[in-house]
Amino acid sequence: MNFLTTISRAGFLASIFLVPAFLSSNALADQNLPLAALGAVPVPADNPQTSAKVALGKLLFFDPRLGGDASVSCADCHAPKQGWGFADPISRGYPGAIHWRNSQTVVNAAYLGKLFWVGAAKSLEAQAPSAAKGAVSGNGEADMMEARLAFIPEYAKQFRAIFGDRWPRISSAWKAIAAFERTLIHDQTPFDKFMRGDKTALSAEQQRGLKLFQGKANCIECHNGPLLTDQKYYNLGVPRAEAWLNSGLAQITFRYEQYAKGVTEDMYRTIKDDAGLYYRTKQKRDKGKFRTPPLRYTAYSAPFMHNGSFFDFGELIEFYNQGGGTNEFSANKTKLLKPLNLSDEEKENLAAFLESLSGEEIKMQTPKLPPYAPLD
Amino acid sequence: MHLRNFSCTGWSVVGLVAIVLIGIPLRGNPAAAESQFGPIKAAKVNAKKAELGKRLFFDPRLSGDAAISCASCHIPEKGFADGLALSKAYPGSDGFRNTPSLINAGQRAAWFHDGRLGTNLNDVTREMLTETYLMNMDMRLMQERLKQDPVYVQMFKDAGFGEPSNGSVRNAIPEYLKTLTSRGAPFDSGNLSDAAERGFETFKGKAGCAACHSGPRFTDDKPHNIGAPENPEIWRNPLRHVTFVTYAKFLGVENYMNIRRDIGAGIRTHKADGSDNGKFMTPSLRELKYTAPYMHNGMLRTISEVVAFYNNGGGNDANKDPRIKPLGLSKEERANLVAFLESLSGVPLTSAEHVWKDKINVNYQPIKDWLKKRN
Repeated sequence: MNFLTTISRAGFLASIFLVPAFLSSNALADQNLPLAALGAVPVPADNPQTSAKVALGKLLFFDPRLGGDASVSCADCHAPKQGWGFADPISRGYPGAIHWRNSQTVVNAAYLGKLFWVGAAKSLEAQAPSAAKGAVSGNGEADMMEARLAFIPEYAKQFRAIFGDRWPRISSAWKAIAAFERTLIHDQTPFDKFMRGDKTALSAEQQRGLKLFQGKANCIECHNGPLLTDQKYYNLGVPRAEAWLNSGLAQITFRYEQYAKGVTEDMYRTIKDDAGLYYRTKQKRDKGKFRTPPLRYTAYSAPFMHNGSFFDFGELIEFYNQGGGTNEFSANKTKLLKPLNLSDEEKENLAAFLESLSGEEIKMQTPKLPPYAPLD
Repeated sequence: MHLRNFSCTGWSVVGLVAIVLIGIPLRGNPAAAESQFGPIKAAKVNAKKAELGKRLFFDPRLSGDAAISCASCHIPEKGFADGLALSKAYPGSDGFRNTPSLINAGQRAAWFHDGRLGTNLNDVTREMLTETYLMNMDMRLMQERLKQDPVYVQMFKDAGFGEPSNGSVRNAIPEYLKTLTSRGAPFDSGNLSDAAERGFETFKGKAGCAACHSGPRFTDDKPHNIGAPENPEIWRNPLRHVTFVTYAKFLGVENYMNIRRDIGAGIRTHKADGSDNGKFMTPSLRELKYTAPYMHNGMLRTISEVVAFYNNGGGNDANKDPRIKPLGLSKEERANLVAFLESLSGVPLTSAEHVWKDKINVNYQPIKDWLKKRN
């Protein structure tokens, strides 16, 4: 299998170089990359991994001083004990506010080409500051966060040694956090072992689920390749978040997001659901679309979907079995979803396969953080 | 205290009656009448806008994490200052300057101790709400919070603003601030003791205070360097020093990591010779009774200490204003000056006229039939 994967990947790469330029990449995009074990984590050339940098990044990931009122860190919405995400449908957000989307797991995020539910950040280095600064997430301000770092002697020392910073630069902090996140890798799942040749790694039930995944249930249409995602955007007809109907705080954030993302006034007045990719592209056809999420570590990262609509694999599979749902943007709903007519046993097999995409939980204690001290 | 206020108010009523009956201008105090000093005219305000501004002023939901309101640092009982040498700040930070009183702030020509905003209260309101170490509020989120509170929806409408918006907040809060006008000071009502009368003469004469402390608010609204001592607490406490660095960096101060001095109005001009460094806005002398400690960094605890400071010729600074020289005031002259300065404080602005007394319900209710309502 591994061998085959290599061959097909090589073939895929070759085809990119060999096909005439006038063939658009869309023609190739419909070819589903085969499932495969997870490979090595990609590391950008301008931010190489070092153990010192990773160690610093870990401290910063847990440090609430990288936020507005020094009370929330990355780890508050990406909590190790909550699948490195957040266990409510909608993330807790900044004090006095609530977020408006489900907090995604950080585990394996390093493999994704773009981050956030609609791919709003092109790298981990760009994701961290967006989260730290947003009014309903970290609400931090770069000058203030950078100044705080300078007054933590242990950080000043490490930033100097690792990045050569005279005083800690906030951009270096994001690099260190990204380096730490590149160590939160989950590649020893039963599925990965199976794909690497250990045919005992999956139970018979799970193997039947794998077959359904690639066959009758057609999950592979979007959840493909080593990451089990094509990293493209679809509207599945996921229903709107319940919170918007029954929580004043959530209604506030919902309107704030429309305002902050610059929709037309008419849209601000009338929209009642998260328009997803539209906020990036401002193309009507992108309303309600969200990036296909990767599937590893899902045993720990419920609830699922961009607004946490589903709490377990059973609910998730039933949603697809019925051909997805309907929402405000149903005109854009993907044609790929159709009722699947899965039997109860088939649903169980699929759920069993999904279980095989998670291995041992990645546990981590909150590290002891270095204190402030006056400057000389 | 109560008795004094009562008698003061009583006198004012008598004075007003006399004016109405006799038709002469309000001048109870011959000393005030002969000078540029005198009572501060109450500003014309739109009552409904001011009422809205009052509620906003006392509402903690106008800060990023909904933990502090304007009134957290501008406390009515403390003359709309906070009684601390150095102010608090947004949670997670501490301030590096003394909270100025907001009484009569509507009549200033420039705001903040360095005078860095010289436009209007609308801009001051924006700065206070959005600055990361002040209230750290994304005003877009603030707008949506206000729209969620039916009390505000009605109040904005009644004030003629339409639905709650950032622009109307920046109008309503200044309208409220304009209601914070000094009144009932013995100086204005002619209720000066002999000592205070003599102190006023010293103020205008031998002590030379009136060179800068001029006009009805006793300030020229300009920055000067008097060599006020640095407050070492700023550099000892990382939470304050961090705030200073954030401020200095944002305002383009070079070498912001290495300076250990509040450069004051130098931040506005960045003069190469540093001659504006260490200048701070002349503060009003009104309401000192409530607003100790004094100076931009709260280094002087009492009015007597302030008088002694000037009597000694101010502090040490290469760019100190040459007019600040040892005054050679006698003990009695100093006491008279203190008596005069004390006469510039009026009645506290702590009644419902100036303070939002109703409990503000900070919990948000969901909008019913949300799907059918326009956002």
